Amino acid sequence: MCCKLEAMVQRFATHALWFLVFGGIALPAERAHAALGGDAASVVTDTAEIQGVAHATLLQQYEIQEITNDSGMRVREFLNRDGVVFAVAWNGPVVPDLRTLLGASFDSYVKQLGALKHPGTHRSLRLASSALVVESGGHMRAYSGRAYLPLLIPAGALPANLH
Amino acid sequence: MPSPHRFPHHAAIMLTAGLLSACLGNHGSTPTSATPPPSVVNTMTVTVDSGPAAAPGAINHAYVTVRVCAPGSTTQCADVDHVLLDTGSWGLRLVRSVLAANTVALSGETDTHGNTVEECETFGGGQTWGPVALADVTLAGEVASKLPVQIMDDTNAGAPPPATCGANGTLLNTVAGFGANGVLGVGVFAQDCGAACVNAATPLPVYYGCTAAGACTAENLALVDQVTNPVAAFAVDNNGLIIDMANLVNANGDASVQGQLTFGLGTQTDNALPATGLTVLGANASGDFTATYNGGSTVLPALIDSGTDDYVFSDMTIPTCSTGSFVGDYCPAVAPLNVFAVNTGVGTNNATNTVNFAIQDPNTFVAGAAAFEGLAGGGGATNFVWGMPYFYGRKIYIGIDQKMAGTFTGPFYAY
Repeated sequence: MCCKLEAMVQRFATHALWFLVFGGIALPAERAHAALGGDAASVVTDTAEIQGVAHATLLQQYEIQEITNDSGMRVREFLNRDGVVFAVAWNGPVVPDLRTLLGASFDSYVKQLGALKHPGTHRSLRLASSALVVESGGHMRAYSGRAYLPLLIPAGALPANLH
Repeated sequence: MPSPHRFPHHAAIMLTAGLLSACLGNHGSTPTSATPPPSVVNTMTVTVDSGPAAAPGAINHAYVTVRVCAPGSTTQCADVDHVLLDTGSWGLRLVRSVLAANTVALSGETDTHGNTVEECETFGGGQTWGPVALADVTLAGEVASKLPVQIMDDTNAGAPPPATCGANGTLLNTVAGFGANGVLGVGVFAQDCGAACVNAATPLPVYYGCTAAGACTAENLALVDQVTNPVAAFAVDNNGLIIDMANLVNANGDASVQGQLTFGLGTQTDNALPATGLTVLGANASGDFTATYNGGSTVLPALIDSGTDDYVFSDMTIPTCSTGSFVGDYCPAVAPLNVFAVNTGVGTNNATNTVNFAIQDPNTFVAGAAAFEGLAGGGGATNFVWGMPYFYGRKIYIGIDQKMAGTFTGPFYAY
């Protein structure tokens, strides 16, 4: 595949992700693929509303797509060589829409969350299974967190660097 | 709807306080006099216990009783017990069904389009959703009149949450969500969202205007209309507060612990700042100072947070509990595990101070107790939270943003 085309597809996908995560628009589940575990190219049609600035960084084991906006939000997606999003990270004044960002993993996240007693009082939480790790923390005005799929992390990449 | 009053004494206090507030709040019509106004009762009790009957089993939750009235009313009032005292958030949030049980109905704010203002606010494990309403809020003898508060809409009486609210977890609107009948956010800021929600090009998904049909759209909201820390809205003693908790009798578990909440810093004889020995940690625009853990080089955002049950920091070398009531918290192989962190203030109030503390094995805690020292967790966290265990046996000072306390300007934390 032509690398240029691939980059372009991912750029479109990133813009679509921005729209999905920050635009506050509910979309049918089958279209929310620009998410953890998803194929970034699958939402290339959602490019109408672009409100963020995207920046791509190509590393040896993976590519980082970073999206920022003027409200101070930042979302980073980590894509492996197969174009699959294996990690997402965020920080800013609000938490992005995790239903969109976590994609197919969201239900698993909510299930683990449901097991917590008094979930409102956990300002920092880590929900970890062999297939999914979600770390979310912070407080009003300053939230941060990340989620990754341990089984899809490229060889040689360290979870500690996925921020 | 008026109802037979259950608390005649408080009604009388409320009436007096209301008159005082009306007088002080009357923008310039207060007659000037050489005689200083009589001091307001500025202290109230804080209790750590197992929580409200509807959601028992709380660990390290500090509670206060908040008096809330419909604005200007002395009959539509309730003393809401077991409201979580939270220095890590800003503004008062109350569970709707608890207010309804006390026959208190508060009128919602409306925006410039006549739509109802509702809010989605994120806490660690989910989000609160519900309308912003005005209330007269009384804490000790201090009154915040017509204070914007959030109603946590557990009965779904208002607009349903938009898809973007609650989508990052379960909604936290019930008593079980916090193990509390509400959350009293008395941290270092006056408003919960602040400037970021006033003039964003794309409104943050925090405040929403909702039509009568229940369609909600994110919108900007002026500071005066945002959910507000009641302390910052008091007529006096509004520059900060002091939380002074007793030490535990048994560090491995007390059924209850008492403390005192004092409003104002250096405004009355009972809230003076110590002349020496006070560590003042300035906070940044997010409400954080910084901390490094156990000699590490990573500089972490940090806060002193009565709304968090434990010390929170990431140390992947400490095993986590795999069984018992504290799964996921730290279970050191050899307890106590002695560690330390270095706090440094941001900005002018840039003190540095080392705090040594011990992590206990929570599986040795007294079963059924509500207060524990040495409870820690947070593997993977990218911040440092001095949670409720840090408060026991200490006097913690909170200085509110842009307000002077002695020679110090908020926002700051001090001890």
